[in-house]
Amino acid sequence: MDFRFDIIVEYAPYFWQGLLVTIGVSLAGIVFGLILGLFIGLGKMSSNPIIRLPFSWYINFFRGTPLVVQILLVHFGAMPLFFAQPNAVASLAVSLSLNSAAYVAEIFRAGIQSIDKGQMEAARSLGMTHAQAMRYIILPQALKRMIPPFANEFIVLIKDSSLGMVIAAPEIMYWGKAAAGEYYRVWEPYLTVAFIYLLLTLSLSKLSHYLERKYSTQ
Amino acid sequence: MLKMKKGLIVAVVAALFMALAACGKSTETSSPSGAEKEGKQKITVGTDAAFAPFEYMQKGKIVGFDADLLDAVMKEAGLDYELKNIGWDPLFASLQSKEIDMGISGITITDERKQSYDFSAPYFEATQVILVKQGSPVKNALDLKGKTIGVQNATTGQEAAEKLFGKGPHIKKFETTVVAIMELLNGGVDAVITDNAVANEYVKNNPNKKLQVIEDPKNFASEYYGMIFPKNSELKAKVDEALKNVINSGKYTEIYKKWFGKEPKLDRLKQQ
Repeated sequence: MDFRFDIIVEYAPYFWQGLLVTIGVSLAGIVFGLILGLFIGLGKMSSNPIIRLPFSWYINFFRGTPLVVQILLVHFGAMPLFFAQPNAVASLAVSLSLNSAAYVAEIFRAGIQSIDKGQMEAARSLGMTHAQAMRYIILPQALKRMIPPFANEFIVLIKDSSLGMVIAAPEIMYWGKAAAGEYYRVWEPYLTVAFIYLLLTLSLSKLSHYLERKYSTQ
Repeated sequence: MLKMKKGLIVAVVAALFMALAACGKSTETSSPSGAEKEGKQKITVGTDAAFAPFEYMQKGKIVGFDADLLDAVMKEAGLDYELKNIGWDPLFASLQSKEIDMGISGITITDERKQSYDFSAPYFEATQVILVKQGSPVKNALDLKGKTIGVQNATTGQEAAEKLFGKGPHIKKFETTVVAIMELLNGGVDAVITDNAVANEYVKNNPNKKLQVIEDPKNFASEYYGMIFPKNSELKAKVDEALKNVINSGKYTEIYKKWFGKEPKLDRLKQQ
């Protein structure tokens, strides 16, 4: 099989730029997803059903509709309301953050609710307030359990950032498609793209294993 | 509860089997076997139906100038065919793997593409044009220097833009021309370079979007569309013959008028 390395060499600087964009939007998605997700997760755990409602529907919407659709809606629908000239990379970062927040919220909720009720009761009977019990007893245990699902979610997020190509956000996949479009060849650009994504996701899963071991109680 | 679960599992397994069976069928029909049954064999034609008025989806069906012309040509040649919407990039990959027998998708005949594929005789003359917002300072192609330009990835619009301004991030490549035009309205690009028929069709259908078409024959040369085949396809001769008859019989003019509302310049097509 003839494999044209010259295509990869020619596109290397673009793949590098694409890599930076992918890392940037993924980091933004993870950070803002975590912040927004914690907030939404707490909202969904509220004992008041009226407060709970908007948070449940946020999750229903962002978890129940395809990310491509959300990206197009954000870039061509929502962002023009706020900016005269919406930037594709910014739109992609916003879409990824909004989308991952829905999943993160459920991971937070599941993690916190997985801790035995007795832990909270014991902490309260020692004289801790609800907030103190959360901070010192529940969350340290819950966060440890959330590491694997978080790693899962963020690996998916990195891969999903490739959907940014539909609005021509210049991430890795966009340049892969550009190279494939210029030379009408499939193997060279897409194998390179696959390899770069694999490097990114493998690093993230290594980090997650490290954290799991670090906080292991065994 | 247990019974319900069992029922669910049975349903899922049944659905999987049906999906598998469907896969099996589709590979059977698309395999390019049975050369002995030539003539009766169904020809698979690929297209990217997001390029009005040449081919686009209307109520789930592929319609447009190309679809009508293809129908006329295949009838003339006495061939049974099926037109499938498979997207622009997959179109070329499927031709190489012979998953489809030919393609019609407003594809410009270029020397580069001729190295990898065969083309029919030209069936349409096109030029690249610039689409900008009304009131834009752009008057011709050279005014676009230093501005960001939207194109559909891997089209001759992209080629024309890169020929004038070089490769780089100032040329944004979109999945379809429609998304590129949406980005123009959004302000993310200053202009879109695309084929004249598509640009005119967009402006005609969206008068309230305030876009205008700029023609620049000095900087954009004429191009010709052709139907595309894998290299050394036996189909090419038959299709060429039928296309010639369709053009000479006046059927071509009829289809052309239906979609573009004017007379085609047949002499220029025949010269090619």
